[in-house]
Amino acid sequence: MALAATLLHNAYFCGRCCRHKALQPLLGPLLSDSLSKSYSSYRRPGSQPEKKTTWQNVDLSFKKSIEVLKTQLGMLKKETEDHLAGPEGQSLTHYMLEQTRVVWEFRSQEDLNKWVISSDVEIGGKSEVYLKLGRNNQTALLYGTLNTEVPRDGETKYSGYCSMRAKPLVGSFARKKYYDWSNFNSLYLRVRGDGRPWMVNIYTDPYFSHQKDDLYNYFMFTRGGPYWEEIKIPFSKFFLSSRGRVQDDQHPIWLDKISTVGFTIGDKVNGPFQLEIDFIGLLNDRAHTEEFAYETYEKNPPL
Amino acid sequence: ILMLSLALGTMITITSNHWVTAWAGLEINTLAIIPLISKSHHPRAIEAATKYFLTQATASALMLFSSMTNAWSSGQWDITQLTNPPSCLLLTAAIAIKLGLTPFHFWFPEVLQGSSLTTALLLSTAMKFPPTTILLLTSHSLNPTLLSTMAIMSIALGGWMGLNQTQTRKILAFSSISHLGWMTIIITYNPKLTLLTFYLYSLMTTSIFLSMNSTNTLKLSTLMTSWTKAPMLNTTLMLTLLSLAGLPPLTGFLPKWLIIQELTKQEMTTTATIISMLSLLGLFFYLRLTYCSTITLPPNSSNKMKQWSIKKPVNTLTPTL
Repeated sequence: MALAATLLHNAYFCGRCCRHKALQPLLGPLLSDSLSKSYSSYRRPGSQPEKKTTWQNVDLSFKKSIEVLKTQLGMLKKETEDHLAGPEGQSLTHYMLEQTRVVWEFRSQEDLNKWVISSDVEIGGKSEVYLKLGRNNQTALLYGTLNTEVPRDGETKYSGYCSMRAKPLVGSFARKKYYDWSNFNSLYLRVRGDGRPWMVNIYTDPYFSHQKDDLYNYFMFTRGGPYWEEIKIPFSKFFLSSRGRVQDDQHPIWLDKISTVGFTIGDKVNGPFQLEIDFIGLLNDRAHTEEFAYETYEKNPPL
Repeated sequence: ILMLSLALGTMITITSNHWVTAWAGLEINTLAIIPLISKSHHPRAIEAATKYFLTQATASALMLFSSMTNAWSSGQWDITQLTNPPSCLLLTAAIAIKLGLTPFHFWFPEVLQGSSLTTALLLSTAMKFPPTTILLLTSHSLNPTLLSTMAIMSIALGGWMGLNQTQTRKILAFSSISHLGWMTIIITYNPKLTLLTFYLYSLMTTSIFLSMNSTNTLKLSTLMTSWTKAPMLNTTLMLTLLSLAGLPPLTGFLPKWLIIQELTKQEMTTTATIISMLSLLGLFFYLRLTYCSTITLPPNSSNKMKQWSIKKPVNTLTPTL
């Protein structure tokens, strides 16, 4: 199951990078007079052809840019105040004393807008995934159907995955912001699944692009009953993988620069799935003393 | 071998009077410390090593370029005879990148965070020594306005960015940036004070890093529980931190006092006032560190198994200097 999941992740990342490729006119790049592309023009079956080029989307109105500038300056002011107040915008005593924190809650549509859903439709598959607010606006319901039918493009071997991923934090002037979870040591999820195994992925956005596929994963096995489950996953259990392949050289996750968290299902079982999430939080489990769950000794020592 | 190379590189740079030997020594240092930074092979450590390499290589190239233009215009390669004004400017910029002065400081906290505590110590003390010697050798021909602006900005930025950091290595990075500001502001007027500040700063930072290394504190919350492991070390850590901040009865006040005195002699009283005010910002976070580590007793105890065994013999003597 792990192997399938990692290979599916591979396809998932392939699909992600192919989403932006435009439709290539039949004449070829040398003969076309549209803007030249430095990447290949193969479009995967699931992605839509781009009708408008990126530069045609730019809005050059003056009033709108003034409003945008005002919002960004407001955000910058708030960030400065947070910087003065203490770590993560709260006072130092709060930081010192906190043992639990709720990071994502699902109570309104804006909370749902902080997440992005995707599935193997990007590579031409047939799974469907939807995200909506649950009953009484108290939960988020991620549901859909998994379809493992392989798209017929000659290079994909496995298919059938759906995922939900948080959008990364954006600061003022579109700078990247990160979460600092160094005070905690486990992820705390209150979910109600349907018995299917899920994979939790944490992305620590690196500076250089050769590490952009690095992801820390672990599994979440749901029970499926009508009762809520509180799943605690310690951060020491997350293993490092890149483009879906588990790395030989394992390292613990560093919690001081976390970008996004995501959930993926890809267990090769055709059929509907459903996951109801109440909140996602962090916990500083005092009883957990493990530093890292996997061996870090040198696997091929020089003789 | 790596330590030897580091020592070799430093020695070559210090004893050089030709630009090429100075540059060679700096390159040897950079190359020797890259494997030390990426020793643990963590993706973040490798990222830190890459960043370090890129910035230092740029700085070395700039330095070589400035020495070449100087040689082209004046016909000699002596370090102390830097006569061409654009070369002086370029050299100041190159050394600023090497040291981590604002606005070229962006690599410093990230690189320090990505490396282990002992490597971080080496990076902030030993690796600063050759560029400082080059500054000292050329101090009569450097550009004072540029240096003073960079120095004031460094002190400001070191204080401001250090305010709500939770990782100890980043805090020490910002303290290093602000101390570098103090060192460079006086270099054109009295280079001996720069040397004094550098020595005292290295001593204090060494003791802090080594104390943190023996208790393996990488973040603030670990610092708070260190009183249980070695109480004596904790008290000396507090004193050393306050000394870094520059509080009067402790040694750290001496360089600041002498620098302010020298600046007032040079009729730069506004500068002196500005930098004293800005170092208050730094004082705030040093105080917060001491508050965390010694004054408050946190409502928890550490749950890391590794922390209970002290790896090295505790050095209580160095912080008392």
